[in-house]
Amino acid sequence: MRRKTALVVVTALSLLTAACGKSTTGTNTATPAPTKSSYKQGGTVTIANTQGQTWTCQFNPFNPAVNAESLGFIYEPLVYVNLLQNQAETPMLASAYKWSDDKKSVTFTIRDGVTWSDGQPFSADDVVFTFNLMKQTPAVDLYSLWSGAGLQSVSASGNQVTLAFNAVATPYFYNFADQVGIVPKHIFSTGDAAAHPDTWEDKAPVGTGPFKVDPCTPNNIQYTANATYWQKGKPYIQKVEYPAYLDNAPANLDLASGKAQWGSQFIPGIKAAYLDKSQGNNTWSPPVVNVEIFPNLDPSHKVTSQLAVRQAIALGIDRTKISAIGEDGQQPAANQTGVVVPTFSKYYDEAAVKSAGLDAPNADKAKQLLASAGYSAAKPLKLNIITIQGYTDWDASLAVIKQNLAAIGIQINIQDLAQQTYDDKLYKGDYDLAYGSEPAGGPTPYYELRQMLYSKASAKIGDDAASNYVRYTNPDVDKLFDQYPTADDATQVDIIKKIGGHMLTDVPVIPTTESVDWFQYNTADIQGWPTKDNPYCQPAAYNVPDVEQLLLHIYSKSAQ
Amino acid sequence: MRFLLRRLGFFVLTLWAALTLNFFIPKWMPGNPKQALIDRTHHRLSDKAIDAMLASFGYKQGQNIFVQYLEYLKDQLTGDWGRSIGQNLGEPVSRIVGEALPWTLGLVGLATVLAFILGSLVGIVAGWRRGSKIDSVLPSVFVVTSALPYFWVALLLILFFSVWTNGLLPSDFSYDNAIPMGFSGEFVSSVLQHAVLPAATIVITAVGGWVLTMRNNMITTLAEDYIRMGRAKGLSNNRIMLNYAGRNAMLPNLSGFAMSLGFVISGAILIEYVFNYQGLGYLLFNAVQNADYPLMGTLFMLFTVAVLVAVFVCDFAIFLLDPRARAKG
Repeated sequence: MRRKTALVVVTALSLLTAACGKSTTGTNTATPAPTKSSYKQGGTVTIANTQGQTWTCQFNPFNPAVNAESLGFIYEPLVYVNLLQNQAETPMLASAYKWSDDKKSVTFTIRDGVTWSDGQPFSADDVVFTFNLMKQTPAVDLYSLWSGAGLQSVSASGNQVTLAFNAVATPYFYNFADQVGIVPKHIFSTGDAAAHPDTWEDKAPVGTGPFKVDPCTPNNIQYTANATYWQKGKPYIQKVEYPAYLDNAPANLDLASGKAQWGSQFIPGIKAAYLDKSQGNNTWSPPVVNVEIFPNLDPSHKVTSQLAVRQAIALGIDRTKISAIGEDGQQPAANQTGVVVPTFSKYYDEAAVKSAGLDAPNADKAKQLLASAGYSAAKPLKLNIITIQGYTDWDASLAVIKQNLAAIGIQINIQDLAQQTYDDKLYKGDYDLAYGSEPAGGPTPYYELRQMLYSKASAKIGDDAASNYVRYTNPDVDKLFDQYPTADDATQVDIIKKIGGHMLTDVPVIPTTESVDWFQYNTADIQGWPTKDNPYCQPAAYNVPDVEQLLLHIYSKSAQ
Repeated sequence: MRFLLRRLGFFVLTLWAALTLNFFIPKWMPGNPKQALIDRTHHRLSDKAIDAMLASFGYKQGQNIFVQYLEYLKDQLTGDWGRSIGQNLGEPVSRIVGEALPWTLGLVGLATVLAFILGSLVGIVAGWRRGSKIDSVLPSVFVVTSALPYFWVALLLILFFSVWTNGLLPSDFSYDNAIPMGFSGEFVSSVLQHAVLPAATIVITAVGGWVLTMRNNMITTLAEDYIRMGRAKGLSNNRIMLNYAGRNAMLPNLSGFAMSLGFVISGAILIEYVFNYQGLGYLLFNAVQNADYPLMGTLFMLFTVAVLVAVFVCDFAIFLLDPRARAKG
């Protein structure tokens, strides 16, 4: 899941092999998948997703350090929500659900005919138990459903489970329906699991999901198909190998040779190092959140709190070039509204960007703005920008930015800091400019923009801000965020466009590129991968529970 | 006896000083386990859950540092190392270390011993045949190889023996994951195969130092009277070279060797990263990155103890072997 190489040294490996390796010309066009509704079972897929550690072989879905290996594979959510297709929903353990009129409670219809992998029947009781467990043990309430979202009660009647909240709960749907894995009551209510559901190791997980662990060693997790999975005939793939890669270089080497077929990390020089190496090597990395320049907006930072300076920076940088040179073309250029396209195109107001003149770099206008703020060639503006050591792609991007801004008369000094030092400065607001990324996205741009701009997510200088590191405060924008949860779909789109408008006028954050879910796949034997034309789930192996959707779609050609 | 007691006292004092530094220095580093966990989970999780989770795994936020220090000393000495609060969240530290230690000892330990034996032999021969072709070629070659950065040697080896030869030798992992772990012939041969390239890397880069010191010691020793005496007695060249000169020339190298054995346990982080070989080196790196105090403390403690024990044993050996040490004591 490490997206950027931490050790520069090791990056050299892929460059070296890329430079010296014999170039076999591969055809990288995916054979269009035959439109069949079902396939024969068989085949193995190997994942190369850098973990930076060996496996602990714990599968507790509540332990954030290990649940990426159990959610989706073993434990299933109620409803799968696809971030890449405008929140398209796939019913999983809940066959249907219904919101109350005031959107304060939601009733799930629990699927019949599902069994746990140890043969016990699954029921609404398990769902109620899972949510109540979070009430009893706050440590496993990972999304603060009880303490933050206002969950009041969870009750079952027959196969209906009702979650009642004390406020509008639609923004949390993604968390409780998609991110929470339902656990078996008969396992979690006895012994150690019941006493300490947060620290329990769960070495032999029992779930409803398509796979079982068999066996797990520190070097490799092998998942085998669950023969009693409730979707009859699935999964097509019978085995998943998940070796523990300590660094990107060995993982990328195994991807290039075809030894692993499903990759989830950055491959520098991807054409020579991967695409040309084996037949059927492909890549499609959909963007999900922005990478951006954070200007410190607090009045105590006199330079960056001036609108003209921020506008000049936004106009001075060449996003296309940053994407091409800094990110090897693998992360697309961002736009000033902060709405990630094409993922969230529905919310993107292209005309507004154009009319604000922010659709292309404009050095002349940037210079005028700087002059109006009192800076000139004789009196140049000098600014420090902090970034994270070892994020080599960000360093390359910053080199482009430095060049761009030098041309309009801003001298940028890049400071590479250790991750923890950087975090500390960013959260406490101890910087002028910072290069970085919002922590996480969500199923709509609302989630990322709210992190970026909602004033209640910020803190005063010197205190840790949860997000909104730039210290942006605008009551109009706050109001828009507050309206969003209860609004209908069309109004929500409208609200996001309005917020995008504030991004254009206030320039509180300056997006540069769009960070992606890294995904490389090999079609020599395995077919049915998600693609740009059929983005049925987030494709990286670290996206949970999306992995389940991918594993339910792919099949082995040789087994047909 | 006084010599030994003094050494023992020194051992305990150093251990305490090292343990104390190991406790305080990580705490002074920027960042803390909570921030690291928030980063790793991409801010998706609630603050309260993270606090509660870390507390369940034994992280005492805001407890008096002196109380923490005393508890830490007690835990280190009793072997109660706690659970990881970093990247292996919740895994007992003893198990994490136990799983990596045999691989580190096996790979780095054997490679270090091999490099020492090989280097000493080459050094003995080169010193014996001073000025010959062997002497002019081998030491200079090994000086060059020992100056090469070892990750780079590793990359070259992977390129030559794995990438260009279609996977002649495996370039990652410590054994073939398809083979179940156990004492089967298949598994053992897989382990050996996987160890070839990383071990070769260590040997190639470590051997030069031993060659050079051994050769120099040899030349000094060869000037001694007892060598001339041996020749006069008409002993065979091999016997003089190995039993008379070599044996004496090796003594000064032994303490260096003991030290390097002590350092074996700290692993070889770049080798581990390049070859994806599980060991202690990358564990320490991850522990530092994630402010994983229990794991960091334990690893530092082990490294310190290993070096101290190696030095202590070496002192003891010298005490036994060298009458001069006893006389001074």
